[in-house]
Amino acid sequence: MNLKLTAVSAAILTAVTAAPAFADYPERAIELTIPAGAGGGTDTSARRLALILEELLGTSIAVLNIGGGGGSVGASQFMQADPDGYSLFATWNSPLTTVPLVQNVAYSLDSFTPIASTSETAYVLCVDAEFPATTGAEFLDELAANPGMYTYGNDGIGGTMQLAAERIFQAREITAIPIPFGGAGETLQNFLGGHIDIYGGSISTVLPYVETGEANCLVVTSAADVPALPSASGLEALGLGEHETLLWRAILGPAGMDQAIVDQLSDAIQTAVNDPAYVEFLATKGEVPNVLVGDDLAARLQSESDGLAEVSRALGLSQ
Amino acid sequence: MDFFVTSLSGIMAIGPILAMVGSTLLGVLIGALPGLNPVMAIALLLPLTYSMDPLVALGMVAGIYNGSMYGGAIPAILLRIPGTPASIATTFDGFPMAERGEAAKALKIACWSSAIGGIVSAIALMTVGPLLARVTLLFGPAEYFWIAIFGMASVGVMVGTDAVKGILAAVIGLLIGTMGIDSLSGQARYTFDQTWLLGGLDLIVVLVGLYALPPVLQLAEKCDLKGLSAAQLRLLAVPFKPGEIRSMFGTWFRSSMIGVSVGILPGAGGNIAAFLSYNAAKNASDDPDSFGKGNPQGIAAAECGNNADNAASMIPALSLGIPGNVVAALVLSALTIHGLQPGPRLFHSNPELVGGFMFEMLLTSILIFLVGGAAATRVFAQIQRLPGVLLVPSILILMCVGVYVINGRPVDLWVMFAAGVAGYFLEKVNVPLAPIILGMILGPMAEQSVRRALLISRGDASELITRPISAVLALATLGMILWPIIKALRAKRAKA
Repeated sequence: MNLKLTAVSAAILTAVTAAPAFADYPERAIELTIPAGAGGGTDTSARRLALILEELLGTSIAVLNIGGGGGSVGASQFMQADPDGYSLFATWNSPLTTVPLVQNVAYSLDSFTPIASTSETAYVLCVDAEFPATTGAEFLDELAANPGMYTYGNDGIGGTMQLAAERIFQAREITAIPIPFGGAGETLQNFLGGHIDIYGGSISTVLPYVETGEANCLVVTSAADVPALPSASGLEALGLGEHETLLWRAILGPAGMDQAIVDQLSDAIQTAVNDPAYVEFLATKGEVPNVLVGDDLAARLQSESDGLAEVSRALGLSQ
Repeated sequence: MDFFVTSLSGIMAIGPILAMVGSTLLGVLIGALPGLNPVMAIALLLPLTYSMDPLVALGMVAGIYNGSMYGGAIPAILLRIPGTPASIATTFDGFPMAERGEAAKALKIACWSSAIGGIVSAIALMTVGPLLARVTLLFGPAEYFWIAIFGMASVGVMVGTDAVKGILAAVIGLLIGTMGIDSLSGQARYTFDQTWLLGGLDLIVVLVGLYALPPVLQLAEKCDLKGLSAAQLRLLAVPFKPGEIRSMFGTWFRSSMIGVSVGILPGAGGNIAAFLSYNAAKNASDDPDSFGKGNPQGIAAAECGNNADNAASMIPALSLGIPGNVVAALVLSALTIHGLQPGPRLFHSNPELVGGFMFEMLLTSILIFLVGGAAATRVFAQIQRLPGVLLVPSILILMCVGVYVINGRPVDLWVMFAAGVAGYFLEKVNVPLAPIILGMILGPMAEQSVRRALLISRGDASELITRPISAVLALATLGMILWPIIKALRAKRAKA
């Protein structure tokens, strides 16, 4: 049954994407490398997407988790793969745009062929009820007026979350003390226990405590406001729109892939991401679909890398 | 009361029951194979359950998690190879017992202790969970630092007869623990420009090499071509002495409390729970010297402690939405996929589902009694009859497969091999191996916590001992170091 289904969908796909030289792609299993351990946000999103892609492409997708080094271990190993379309890389933005700035890695943006971005979400900064600010503007004023007084938790030194916050702080000449934790869950635990003043991390983790009133979220790192957090200001509203930094995910290949295969894959990914079941899945994690392909994706990677390079240089974190 | 009835009836359906039974068996197998671990198994299986009834998915998690903690004890007792990091302490007394021909008894104690630890833990999860969860929030970086130091002080009981060699081993572990990207400065340490070292050395890879290769080499040295006949395998020859089981109740109680306490703290794990339980049992014993030579209390303490960690580690996840370990994180992601929102209101808005999962943690612990019962014990013990010429290559293949699938890279096999050769020679010169693993686990925890604490206090070290909980923990650590000394002095005076 399954075999038959696979054969049928493969036949349909070949018919639709009549690219003569590569009419047979994919003719065997695709290996999808994830530069993080099993069970994390990138892993669950990618595995879920892979299930839909398997049906669309009519081939099986084998997932390989290579964690470590903030994603750089998986990225370094992946860049040596053949650009034949049978090795793909599902990552979040940090290993591509942040890690190369702060670690000595063997790859750069040129080591990859951008195929398609999939989803994104903003980071958020939250305080408790006693904090002397109730709006995003007041929050930044309070931080600016008291340099070095407040501590904020983040996902790791030189990580995208920290750089997203520092990008805003630099624009407003704010000095806050970064306390790096192993992830948003650990940051939340220390925030709820009162060990740090400001929660910095993903929205979905802190959301339940916004509802109970224990967390008051004031700034999101996206340009636009986030509907789920009415009390938080987007950066546009604070006049800092150009300092937006998001957590987003994408699928790439090794450098030098054939354009026909890239197009076929990006079409399939676009369809898979907009599958209602996947959109619903993303919503449970506080993410929204955002598919950019080809040059648009390359441009996004480049501009984010440039923006964060400036921040990390100023922080003295750059290689 | 109503809630207990509704959530229990929710899982009394064919799907959840099959899931629990099957996955407990699978968990025992995964735990028993060195290299394979429950985290990996759960991560791989959960995506397949997204379309199923959530209680089936959660039943599988519960079974694999609880089953594997017991499964790790099987090779630990029979072959001196811990199946998981949490069963290292089980090798100390389990293997000497097996060598004496008491393998069946040792397996039975491991099974009972695992089940009891799991049951106590599940009951804690169902009754005082939300209360304990709020307590964990009081633990900040300064407190975590002291927990790590407290655990390190327990190395004292594991150093064996030669303290210098024990400390040497612990320092090796601490040094290995510093490798990789330093999460507080972002700098790479001891990576020698090798990309694969950026993540540090994987605990499981080192563990499998260090702990599984030396026993395998020793088996190979025996050149055993024939194996044992059924008659030579002296099973069930050793009955329990009168009062022996009753004397374990104290150990089970103590270890369950330790396991639950360690379990509720995010970041600590079953391995630390097992070490601390073992240490506590030894300290409480009238005859501490018999530990490490096949004292059943040692197995009871370690196995009860590591299973008591399991359900308790779900407490912060289910009550606060804060996952304390990877398994808890996977459970939370499974809940979100089924449309639930983890957080303080999770339980109130979904009592059937969350309550059902709690019952599944309880029932799978009870299942261990059946899975590891007399029949299974006899089956497992047959491993001892296999001739070395079959056993050695089989274990080597399983080790390589297990290690390779962790990160999917061949270099890990070399790390395992190097760790194994090192372990083989360290054992030959009587350097204990357990402090190496403990150093690898606790070193990074101690270092990161103390640096975070000092960042928060702006470099004021007095905060490490002036906060109420950290002061208590500091005193407990001091007591932990001094207690064996006081005890030894007293014994000497009594003799004189």
